[in-house]
Amino acid sequence: MDYYLILARSVTYAQRTQRTLSRAGIRSQIFRAPRDLTTMGCAYAIRISVSDLSEALKVLHRAGLDPVQVYLFGKGVYQEVRF
Amino acid sequence: MIYFDSAATTFQKPPAVAKAMEEALHTMSSPGRGGHPAAMRAAEAALTCREELAELFHAQNPERVVFTHNATHALNIAIKTLVAPGGRVVISGYEHNAVTRPLHALGAEIHVAAAPLFSPEEVLASYQRLVVPGTAAVICCHVSNVFGFIQPIEEIAKLCRERNVPFIVDASQSAGILPIDMEAMGAAFIAMPGHKGLYGPQGTGVLLCGDVQPIPLMQGGTGSQSLQQEMPDFLPDALEAGTHNMPGICGLLAGVRFLRKKGIEAIDHQERILVSLAASGLSALPGVHVFSNGNKGAQSGVLSFTQEEWDVEELGEALARQGIAVRAGLHCAPLAHQTAGSLATGTVRISFSAFNTTQEVRKFLRITESILLSKSE
Repeated sequence: MDYYLILARSVTYAQRTQRTLSRAGIRSQIFRAPRDLTTMGCAYAIRISVSDLSEALKVLHRAGLDPVQVYLFGKGVYQEVRF
Repeated sequence: MIYFDSAATTFQKPPAVAKAMEEALHTMSSPGRGGHPAAMRAAEAALTCREELAELFHAQNPERVVFTHNATHALNIAIKTLVAPGGRVVISGYEHNAVTRPLHALGAEIHVAAAPLFSPEEVLASYQRLVVPGTAAVICCHVSNVFGFIQPIEEIAKLCRERNVPFIVDASQSAGILPIDMEAMGAAFIAMPGHKGLYGPQGTGVLLCGDVQPIPLMQGGTGSQSLQQEMPDFLPDALEAGTHNMPGICGLLAGVRFLRKKGIEAIDHQERILVSLAASGLSALPGVHVFSNGNKGAQSGVLSFTQEEWDVEELGEALARQGIAVRAGLHCAPLAHQTAGSLATGTVRISFSAFNTTQEVRKFLRITESILLSKSE
């Protein structure tokens, strides 16, 4: 199943992102970011469904939590999304 | 025991504090160190604590709430971020060694905005004279840990904004007792212990960070950007190297919830009633000098006194033998004693928390009177 991963530089940012999304009614899960996706090591990622990305980006922008990197997972691989 | 030493640490804690700490020990590991439930529960609790502290003190956002070991640790970060060796600093006449010793170690050019006790107008006037361009930082304790003197930090903050000088507030004796608005003051840093007016356990402290980029005192693992050998430049990770004190943070959160439920104003009001009662009772005892402002409003729940025939440490010991815990001596604040004229003798200090009562103060007064009479007989 396809999904988006929003990368967060720390667990604090990841959880703030999740709480902000949750308040907007957007479901998400936090987990450690896949090693291949992080250039500086150790980070967290927030997983959201494909249909929620547009609204999630708006909500996060309003909260001052614009993501630095977002990836789409599809067909078994991650692809960075430019927005 | 009647515990009147809450300016050192609030010994009596809400039961929820110990419960939260025990739960943390059994259910949490370390935030940022894994994606498993124990690590994520810890991260959840840490963020919740940051959020509630940010809300209480009007911090910009929860990331700018940094956990420290105590207020001294927090003050060291703030001071060493802003003050280069030999830098010019203006401090009040009531600062604790937690401020003066780091400044001394830096060889700072220290200017003391000295002013008489319980005279906030003169404190402000003194700062107005001394805060000039080129001052690296202005530092002021909100409340004197020796005398309970409430200093005019909002007005000093305004002065600092006007003169573009960073302001550090030591809220060790005011956090949880007086309103503190980080955003309105525009302070560079506000440092506070978690274990006094916030009712958390010992070993907890908080640094609220303004717009200044802080410099870490320690370097180490943060669970973020691990390939990079420099510390992360973002908060709170920049200042939180090493494993977090999760039982402490969870206890602190429980303490903060207790005081928010009870109400800061209500606690302050109660403590001022106790100070007023103690001050008037002590003043009536023979040979006692009380450092009090009457009911004029510039004193919180801390009160110092001396007795002309007693060494303060001996009087403190005599009270301890009767089951009353007070603090005697210089209270790690020789500058405050020097400013108030009590450096030669020190003082006996009583200080209150939300758990003290008027009955306890009356008993303390009876016991103090009997101790004083026993020596004069």
